[in-house]
Amino acid sequence: MPDMNEKNENKKILIVDDEPYILHVLALKLRNAGYDVLTAADGEEGVELSLSEQPDLIIADFQMPYMNGLEFLTEHRRRGGREIPTMLITAREFDISDRQAQKRGIAIVLAKPFSPQQVVEVAGRLLRKDGCSRNVA
Amino acid sequence: MTMTLVGKYRLEWLLIVVLVSAVGCFTLAVSTKAPAGGGRLHVELVGLGLLVLLAAILARQWSYRRKTVRSLEHITTRLEQLNQDQTGGCVLIDGMGAEASEIAPDTTEALLAVIKQVEDLRRESHSLHIRGLICETQKHQVEQMLMSVSDAVFVTNRFDELTFANETAEQLLGFRMRDCKRKNIDEIVPDGALVRLLQDTRRLGLNHPARVVEHSFNNGTVPCTFSISLRCLGGPNDTVAGVVAILHDITREKEIEQGKAEFVANVSHELKTPLASIKAYIEMLLDGEVQDPASTRDFYETISAEADRLHRMIERILAISRIESGSDRVLREPVSMTAVIKQVIKVIAPKAKAKNIEIEEHLAPVYFQVDADYDLLCQAVQNLLVNAIKYTAPGGHVVVDVSPDERRGVLAVDVSDTGVGIAGDELPRVFEKFYRGQSARKMASGSGLGLPLVKYIIEKIHGGHLSATSEPGKGSTFSFEIALVS
Repeated sequence: MPDMNEKNENKKILIVDDEPYILHVLALKLRNAGYDVLTAADGEEGVELSLSEQPDLIIADFQMPYMNGLEFLTEHRRRGGREIPTMLITAREFDISDRQAQKRGIAIVLAKPFSPQQVVEVAGRLLRKDGCSRNVA
Repeated sequence: MTMTLVGKYRLEWLLIVVLVSAVGCFTLAVSTKAPAGGGRLHVELVGLGLLVLLAAILARQWSYRRKTVRSLEHITTRLEQLNQDQTGGCVLIDGMGAEASEIAPDTTEALLAVIKQVEDLRRESHSLHIRGLICETQKHQVEQMLMSVSDAVFVTNRFDELTFANETAEQLLGFRMRDCKRKNIDEIVPDGALVRLLQDTRRLGLNHPARVVEHSFNNGTVPCTFSISLRCLGGPNDTVAGVVAILHDITREKEIEQGKAEFVANVSHELKTPLASIKAYIEMLLDGEVQDPASTRDFYETISAEADRLHRMIERILAISRIESGSDRVLREPVSMTAVIKQVIKVIAPKAKAKNIEIEEHLAPVYFQVDADYDLLCQAVQNLLVNAIKYTAPGGHVVVDVSPDERRGVLAVDVSDTGVGIAGDELPRVFEKFYRGQSARKMASGSGLGLPLVKYIIEKIHGGHLSATSEPGKGSTFSFEIALVS
């Protein structure tokens, strides 16, 4: 899919996860799909990168030390970050209500264990939607 | 009886004959004109008449006396018989003192029937008295039983007034029964919802089945949850006599239930994390996302490491579950703590060497022994030493100190490190299942089950005591004590 990869090249994705293996595998999969990938091992580092790099999409783990996925998104907005489409990955999907997700701009909650291919597909869908809305704006 | 009658009539006849003879003698004496020499015969006849009369009077007296004695004997026998039979009865006596039962049988029967009825009533009254005593005893016993149950029990009447409450109810709702009897429950029970439950149950009546409601209210300042069983009490003619309420405290059960749910949620999360890595890495290999042999090997190694992590977690969860349920077989024998520590250090030395961490040993002589399960003790010491190495930066220092306190009869073990440390507010929580401190999370991966397992082994199985002190950034010390074999 060379043309797809080329199309993805200008899209920046930030992955925030404290599990190094998950971080590694997701970064590799998304890079192979042609995305520009940034990684952060915790919420604090994630907020720094989300503010400075302005990614097009955020993929965050829910259970992380210091601040969890929801707290990370709240902190990002508190420090003036713009609303970025977000994919939340969690093994405790039952802990996140639709209201909580909606309030923090979470577009989709993905349950662990997940398929890297599924992550790429969902990321593509979210970025296209996001692209459209921005074009309109 | 017939014989007596015959004898009596014979005597009467005899008396009549004697009297007639006496009268005859007198008549003859009077009518006979006594000649000059016949005066003597006249005197003899009068004398004979007097003798006969005297004999007749004596015979009559003797007859009365005999009759009276017989009658008294008869009455005595009848009374003795009645007394012996333990029955009621009557003995009629005529004007002469004779027993007259035979003379008025109908009256006797009627009187006997009355006496029998009186006797029956007396017996019934006695039986009722005994039944009353039994009821009173049973009531007392039921009250005692209700008093001794650990659930709060109280009863209201059809006017919603309190009629009974056991001690638990008094303590729970904060009143004294003796001050509150017949008071309306809304004056006694502070929780409005509970009052409404009682009133509603009474209104629903007897046709409504007993209901069980879960309700929470504050017991003092502590929020408690109760399973409340409410039932209408029936009175005469199917009327509602009141309501009985039984409050069973399920606060602890709820906490356990919640703890279990949390444990399952944590377990599933902890198990899903390595599973997610394994699944993702396998998919990447299958999709050909990695081509070069070195990266492929890296992927296989990651899968293997994550599978090992999954295995370790399952083993720890099972170990905790076995210890918690008491199904783990524990073999107790005199064990040398120094031998245990030497064994564990041998196993973990490569890990320490890989991080250039020196393990310093201050061990007690081998003959200081504790009564313990060797394998479980090795597991506990190993978890503490592995943690010390895991959370200490390369080049750090780990000290194991074993010192006997013979005066207190315990062996104290300290495992200290120069690691990342634990924040003060996190320290009390490090023995909770799945809890992981922020610094620990940052430093290394873990299940949050290692320290709870150590606590179980030291405290629950060996009756010892485990504690921790720490200074963030400088290091931590985990200490435990186990009783020495005397």
